[in-house]
Amino acid sequence: MTALPLEGIRVLDSTYVFALPYTGGQLVDLGAEVIKIEGPGRPDITRGGGLYGTFPDNDPGEDWWNRPSTYQLLNRGKRSMVLDMAQEEGRQIFSELVMVSDVVMENFTPRVMRRWNLDYPNLRKLRPDIIMVSNTGYGHGDGPYSSYPAQATTQEGTHGHCWITGYPGDEPSKAGRSFVDFLSTWSAMLAIGSALRYRNRTGKGLWVDIGMYQAGVMFLSEYLMDAIANDREGERIGNRHPNRAPQGAYPAAGDDEWITLSVADNQQWHALCRLMERDDLASDKRFATLAGRQRDHDEIDEAIGQWTKHHDKYEMMHALQAQGIASGPVLSGKDVHFDPHYRSRNFLERVEYPPERDMGTRIIMGRPYKLSKTPLEIRGPAPNFGQDNVPLLEGLLGKPAEQVAAWADATVITEVPTTGEPSPTLDPEELVERRQLAEWDPEYRQRLGI
Amino acid sequence: MFDGPLSGIKVLDLSEDIAGSFCGRLLADYGADVLKVEPPGGSAMRRVGPYYHDEPHPEKSLFFLILNLNKKGITLSLESAAGRRILKELVLHVDLVIESYRPGHLDDLGIGYDALSAINPNLVMTSITPFGQTGPYSQYAGEEIVSYAMGMVMGISGVQGRPPLKHGGFQAQYQGGLFGAGATAMALFAQDRHGVGQHVDVSITECVASTMMATQTIYPFIGGVQVRRAPGTMWENPMPCKDGWIIVQAGGGATWDDIADFFRAPELLEPRFADRAQRVRNGPAMDEVVLDAIKDREKWELFPAAAEKRMLFGLVQTPTELADCPQLESREFYRQTEHPVIGRIKVPAELFRMTPAGYQLRMAAPTLGQHNEEIFVDGLGYDRETLSVMRQLEVI
Repeated sequence: MTALPLEGIRVLDSTYVFALPYTGGQLVDLGAEVIKIEGPGRPDITRGGGLYGTFPDNDPGEDWWNRPSTYQLLNRGKRSMVLDMAQEEGRQIFSELVMVSDVVMENFTPRVMRRWNLDYPNLRKLRPDIIMVSNTGYGHGDGPYSSYPAQATTQEGTHGHCWITGYPGDEPSKAGRSFVDFLSTWSAMLAIGSALRYRNRTGKGLWVDIGMYQAGVMFLSEYLMDAIANDREGERIGNRHPNRAPQGAYPAAGDDEWITLSVADNQQWHALCRLMERDDLASDKRFATLAGRQRDHDEIDEAIGQWTKHHDKYEMMHALQAQGIASGPVLSGKDVHFDPHYRSRNFLERVEYPPERDMGTRIIMGRPYKLSKTPLEIRGPAPNFGQDNVPLLEGLLGKPAEQVAAWADATVITEVPTTGEPSPTLDPEELVERRQLAEWDPEYRQRLGI
Repeated sequence: MFDGPLSGIKVLDLSEDIAGSFCGRLLADYGADVLKVEPPGGSAMRRVGPYYHDEPHPEKSLFFLILNLNKKGITLSLESAAGRRILKELVLHVDLVIESYRPGHLDDLGIGYDALSAINPNLVMTSITPFGQTGPYSQYAGEEIVSYAMGMVMGISGVQGRPPLKHGGFQAQYQGGLFGAGATAMALFAQDRHGVGQHVDVSITECVASTMMATQTIYPFIGGVQVRRAPGTMWENPMPCKDGWIIVQAGGGATWDDIADFFRAPELLEPRFADRAQRVRNGPAMDEVVLDAIKDREKWELFPAAAEKRMLFGLVQTPTELADCPQLESREFYRQTEHPVIGRIKVPAELFRMTPAGYQLRMAAPTLGQHNEEIFVDGLGYDRETLSVMRQLEVI
């Protein structure tokens, strides 16, 4: 049995919200021991439910902070320690943890770790080969925005993503959710993998300084080059493609069901016309070339929509793909659970909770890649707040029990957040009525077999 | 010798698309020696714009340029037996192969993972494809819009009553490249640490899906299915001000009072906007108040003022604004490179900073076959006559 890539690697994960917590969860999948560190009065925002994730069956339960969905997905398999870094003893314990760790991740605003004397120069004194990863909105340094507060929701505009996203001729728009967070998630994966190999070779550590803004801008590279070399601003073309036509999302049979397709060349255009039984379009000279199809794209869209609305989205995908035409249905957060491809790749994994957590079995996404020699899987549920305080202090750091009890009395450590409250839960039926949910399926457990 | 975290790693990049090329570039940025292997007619990305000064030319594709910075380049026909023989010689000397062909294509040519790992057992091979190597859709054709559709993005993007909306640009391809590079870095560490070579199978559609964690989990947690927002709710989305668009979110270090003060809009303190639930319920009314408050204000005046209040606040920047941004300047995000045909040009360079060993811009993208002599003659020991025969036979 080959060891997992990160077996024996210990990571201190002092990060909040989406970006680096997700990195931590991915590192656990790879075999690392990841210790999530939170402050007694600073439970991770994803623990609050609401916008940041739902409570199982909308029930916050006795310990709401341990239950929300995205908290579970992001923090699967971690250990949890709750430590008050505002107190000297908290910082001392953190320092001792650094000495026995390989990687430290944090996403405080730049001044915080410096103020605590826990920035990279100081961590190196504790452990010379430490790998430190910092994630901030705009990156460390003396740039004009370095101290600006930032979260992905607002940064999507600032890093230019909204400018290029939107219906043609309409206002800038967003797509997806908190998109840039995940660019940090995977920048950190690349950095940590590289840094660990570097340390293996040289015995030296590294500091990784990620700015989400910069990562978001990088993903617009071809627009930036067009601006630099040709002084061009780029434009919003909606669902269309600069070098293919037709392309779009078209209504399929059913309520709010959609199929996407993208035609690469003239041959595929003729194949599409045959499927639609529209010889008239195939022989129309206006549509014989890519340029022509782009010019009259609206008219073609209309014709395609007349065909697609009578057919099932999956049937159309298979028929189009049989002709070599790129196509796929718009899948909802429900659809993916029943899609045969996702199922066959086991992309969605079952997580079983011990009975005392009263969470049942839930399904969360694994990872977007597979390793042939060391297959990976989710290694356990996300931890309860502070569940590993005692084992880590007494076991890993060898602290006497009386000392640990004294820290608990002084709330240097805790297992219950000192502040915060669960977001109000909204009635799913009301959400459907207000069209904030497309559907509410009370039978979802039976359907999923959980 | 350049001291990057990935220095010493040797890579063959066979990919023809954005994702695989970007993956190779990121590894090269942090020190790996990456050799771009193109078909004798040149990579398909050389025929994709934008072009330098809008002049379509295989050496002037700016898309090819930014995807292949820091790489050397050779030409080699994988369709010819001689080309495949040479590829196998090269594989003996590398740690990693990156490819993006349709699953099974390289196996059919006798140069898939099984064949190459038989020659070099420690080899890591990373395949980045639309649907991954296995599963019923693995042979299906992928495209940006299809990955967004099947990756759950489109179902919640855009507004109700209009079609689901895709991301602009090629976000899925870039994600495949970055996420693939992350998975590859872990495999390279395992290769170094445990002596394990393996096949890394990256699905671009799963990369996109993996970002939709709130959307995916709402079904197995409450049975709910998320949908696109209703028209008319603009909060947390771009809102027009005098000269552009801004985006605001509650929270951060700012209280609701701070936000009302920032907008000079005391109406926001009315009970109907008092908490998040109220604000969601009265979204259109709140939009009206905010839109009125910003209609005569400019985005570059609002942006630093919001930061003063510790608000979560963004503005919509255009590519030309981003090409000339003081924050990016301070981070040395852009660097100048010297390209043999284009000349000196500014490029987006550093994704993130690593110190003391980190990013370096060592060279521009290769011209077609730029390093053929160096690799085939100096590296593999072919003589120049053989090289010229290979050229005639279009092996290189």
